[in-house]
Amino acid sequence: MRHYIIKRLLSIVPLLIGISFLAFILINLTESDPAEVALRVNEITPTETAVAEMREELGLDKPFIERYITWVTSSIKGDFGNSFINNQPVIDEIAQALPATLLLALVSFVIIIVVSVSASIICTMYEGRMIDRAIRGIVFFGEAMPGYWIGLLLMWFFSIKLNLLPTSGMSSWTSVILPAVTLALAYISTYVRLLRNNMVQIKSENFVLYAKARGMKESVILKRIFKNSLQSAITALGMSIPKLIAGTVIVENIFAWPGIGRLSVTAIFNYDYPVIQAYVFLMAVLFVVCNLLADIVTAILDPRMRKEV
Amino acid sequence: MRLLNIGLLSILFLLLLVSCSNSESNATVRDEIVYASSKDIRNIHPHLYSGEMAAQNMVFESLVINTEDGIKPWLAESWDISEDGLEYTFHLREDVIFSDGEKFNAEAVKQNMDAIMDNEERHAWLDLVNLMEENIVVDEYTYKLVLKHPYYPTLTELGLTRPFRFLSPNDFVDGMTRDGISGYSGTGPWVLSEHKENQEAVFTANKDYWGEQPKMNTVRWKVIPDHQTILLALEKGEVDLIFGSDGDMIDLDSFSALEEQGEYVTAISDPIASRAILLNSNRPILGDVEVREALQYAVDKQSIADGVLNGSESVAPALLSATVPYSDLGLVERKYDPDKASELLENAGWKLNNDGYRYKDGEKLELSLHYNSDNAQEKTISEYIQHDLKEIGTELHITGEQKQAFLDRQKSGEFDLQYSLSWGTPYDPQSYLSSWRIPAHGDYQAQTGLDRKGWLDETITDLMIENDESNREAMYEEILTYIHDEAVYIPLTYSRTKAVYRPKLQGVTFNVSQYEVPFEKMYFETE
Repeated sequence: MRHYIIKRLLSIVPLLIGISFLAFILINLTESDPAEVALRVNEITPTETAVAEMREELGLDKPFIERYITWVTSSIKGDFGNSFINNQPVIDEIAQALPATLLLALVSFVIIIVVSVSASIICTMYEGRMIDRAIRGIVFFGEAMPGYWIGLLLMWFFSIKLNLLPTSGMSSWTSVILPAVTLALAYISTYVRLLRNNMVQIKSENFVLYAKARGMKESVILKRIFKNSLQSAITALGMSIPKLIAGTVIVENIFAWPGIGRLSVTAIFNYDYPVIQAYVFLMAVLFVVCNLLADIVTAILDPRMRKEV
Repeated sequence: MRLLNIGLLSILFLLLLVSCSNSESNATVRDEIVYASSKDIRNIHPHLYSGEMAAQNMVFESLVINTEDGIKPWLAESWDISEDGLEYTFHLREDVIFSDGEKFNAEAVKQNMDAIMDNEERHAWLDLVNLMEENIVVDEYTYKLVLKHPYYPTLTELGLTRPFRFLSPNDFVDGMTRDGISGYSGTGPWVLSEHKENQEAVFTANKDYWGEQPKMNTVRWKVIPDHQTILLALEKGEVDLIFGSDGDMIDLDSFSALEEQGEYVTAISDPIASRAILLNSNRPILGDVEVREALQYAVDKQSIADGVLNGSESVAPALLSATVPYSDLGLVERKYDPDKASELLENAGWKLNNDGYRYKDGEKLELSLHYNSDNAQEKTISEYIQHDLKEIGTELHITGEQKQAFLDRQKSGEFDLQYSLSWGTPYDPQSYLSSWRIPAHGDYQAQTGLDRKGWLDETITDLMIENDESNREAMYEEILTYIHDEAVYIPLTYSRTKAVYRPKLQGVTFNVSQYEVPFEKMYFETE
C-alpha cells in the first residue's frame, strides 16, 4: 500500500510542473503586451516610456525561463505577485474570497448528498412506479437545463413571486440557499441516476433474494443494497469536490456571491493576469490532489485496484 | 415516504421563518439608498485611476466644479487669473475640514497638487499636469497655481472627477500619494465607512460637511455582476437605483422593458458623448475622401438610433453635439442618401459589377470593421452598417475582438473602420481633441492619411495654450470643419446617461460627467 501511494505521489510531480508551465505561459499566449495591459487597466495612456517602466516593474525585460523560475519559486511560497488592478498581493485576494466559495461548496455538497440519497432510495423502493418516474423526469430536466437559467428561474420564483429569499449577495444566512441549490442541481441529477441504477441492479442479485427468503426486514435489506451500491458513487463524489469549487464561477456571478469564482471572472474581464494565473494554477492543483486522494481511497476500499496499477 | 414528508415540512417551516424575518426589515423608515453596480468601488485613491469614479466623487472634492452653466466655485470661493494666463490664485473656503478633523487650507491644497505633480507620468493624458510649474501657499486660505504656458481648459480640468481632488495630508505615505495612501479622508458629503471587497461599500453622510447635508444617512453600493440579477433585485425592492452610461449598467432592451412596465421611473440625461465610426484615411481604399464621404451617406443612422438604440439616443449630425463648447458650428449634416453615396463611388471610379459589388481596376470594394466583442450593442450596429454598405455595393467584413486586441489594433492602425466613443462632457472637446495627437489612439491613426495631419496636430497644440477666446473659437471651428470635410468620422448618435429607480426615490439628477452619480441630492418621499 505504501509503495502504491509513493508511486502515485511521485507521478504527480511532472504533472504539477506541466500545469505551472501552462498557467505561466497563458500570459504569453495573448497578443497584447502585459505591460500595456497593466497600464490600460488603470486607464494610463501606454506611452513608450510608461510601457518600458512597467515592463521593468513586472520583470518582463528578463528572459522567459528566468521569469518562469522566479514565478514558480515564489508561487510555491504562496507569492503570486500583485494584482494589476488594486496592487494587493494575489494570495490575499484569494484567501479573502475562498471562505465564501468553501461555504457555498459545502452547503451544496450537503444538499447533493441528502437529496440524492433520499431520492434514489425512494426510486428504488418504488421502482417503475409513478413516483420513480416523476423523480427521474425531474432529474432529466435538471441535467438538461443550463445552470445560469435555473439560477435566474429560482431567483425569480423564490425571491420575487414568493418573496421568501434574498435575490443575491451574502447579507444573511438565507442568502446561501439559492446559489447552493442551483449549484447542487446538476450534481444531484448525476448521483440520483448513478445510485438508483446501482441499487436497482443490486436488488436483483442473489444475496438480496436469500435475505428475502430468510425473512429479513425490508429496511435491513434496503440498507444492505444501499451499502453495496455506494462504491462508484463515492469515487465520483470525491472527484466532484474540486468540480464544485471550480464550478462556482457562474453561480457566484449570478448570485453576486463574493467567492473565488467571482474573483476569477472579474480578473478575466479586467485582464488581471496575475490573478488569472494564480486561479488556474490553484484549481489545477486542487484537481490533481483530489484525484490522487480519490485513487488512494479507492485503493484502500478495493484491493483489486492496487494490483492493476 | 415519511422521510420525504418530514423533509418537505421542514423546508416549508424554514421558508416561513425566513419570510417572517424579511417582513420585519421592510417596516423601518428609509434613510438609505441602495445602489447596484456591476463593479466594486475598488481603490478610491483620488489621485489615481483604479477606483470607480462615482465613488471617488462622493468622498473627494475639487476647487471648482463643471456644471451645465459652466465652471462654478466649490472648495475655492473665487479666483483671479493673471493677465498672461500663467497664474491662477484661488481664495479657498474657510469652513472646510477633512473627515479626519484636519483643516482644509492652502497648505493641504499645495501638498495634494505637489503629490499629483510628483506622479506626472501617470497623468500624461492630462495636459494640465504637464503644464504645472509650481504650487504656492500665499496665505492660509489663498493658493496660487503657476503654469509653464497659459492653458485655457485649466479650470475645467481642475474640476474633473480625478485627479485634482483633495485628500487629508494625514493619509499621505511619506508625504506623497504615488505609492498608495493610508486612508480616505476627504471633504465630500459622504464618508466611506465600510468596504467589503466585491460585496458592498457603505457611505455615510459626512456630519461635518461644509455644504448642504445629504438628505439620506447612507448609500449602500451593492456589487451585483450579473445584469439580469440587478433587474430582479430592483423588482424585488432590494435595490433602489441603477445608473449608468453606454450600456454598462442597463442594456437598452431592459431599459425599454422597465419603461413600459411603468413601475419604475426611468430618466435620461442630455447628450453626453459622441458615438462614431472612424474611417482610416491611411488605408488604400479609404485614402480617397470621396469614398469616405460616400460611406457617410450610406449609413442609415436613424434606423440605428431607432432599431438598435430603441430611440434613446438622437442621431448625430456632426461629430460633436452642438451642446459641446465651441462645437455649435452649423456643419452640414450628411443625411442618409444611398443614391448620393452610389454616385460618389461611381465618380471615384468604383463601378458596379454583376455580383452586386463595386470594383476598380479589378479590385473589389471591401472593407473591415472591428468592434469590441464585450459590447453587444456594437455588434448589432455593425450588422446594420454591413447591410447598409451592401446596398451601395460595398462588402463589409465585421469582426468582434476582445477589448485588448481591439485596443492593440487602434494603436497599430490596422483597421479600416473602427468604433469610437468620445470622452464625453466635460472632457469634450479639449481632452478629446488633445488625444488625437497621441499615436496610441485610433483617432490619430485614422487621421494619419490626411494631407494636413501635421497642421492639425500643431493647431491642437497651439489651441490648448491660446489665451484669447475669439482666437480659440476660430481655431476650434477650423479644426472641426476640417475633420468634418475630410469625413474621417461617421457620426452615429450622441450617447446619454440612463437611470432607473423606484418611484419613491426623489431628486435623481445627472451631473455633467457621465461618471458621477449625484447621490447627495437624492431622498425618499416620506410614506
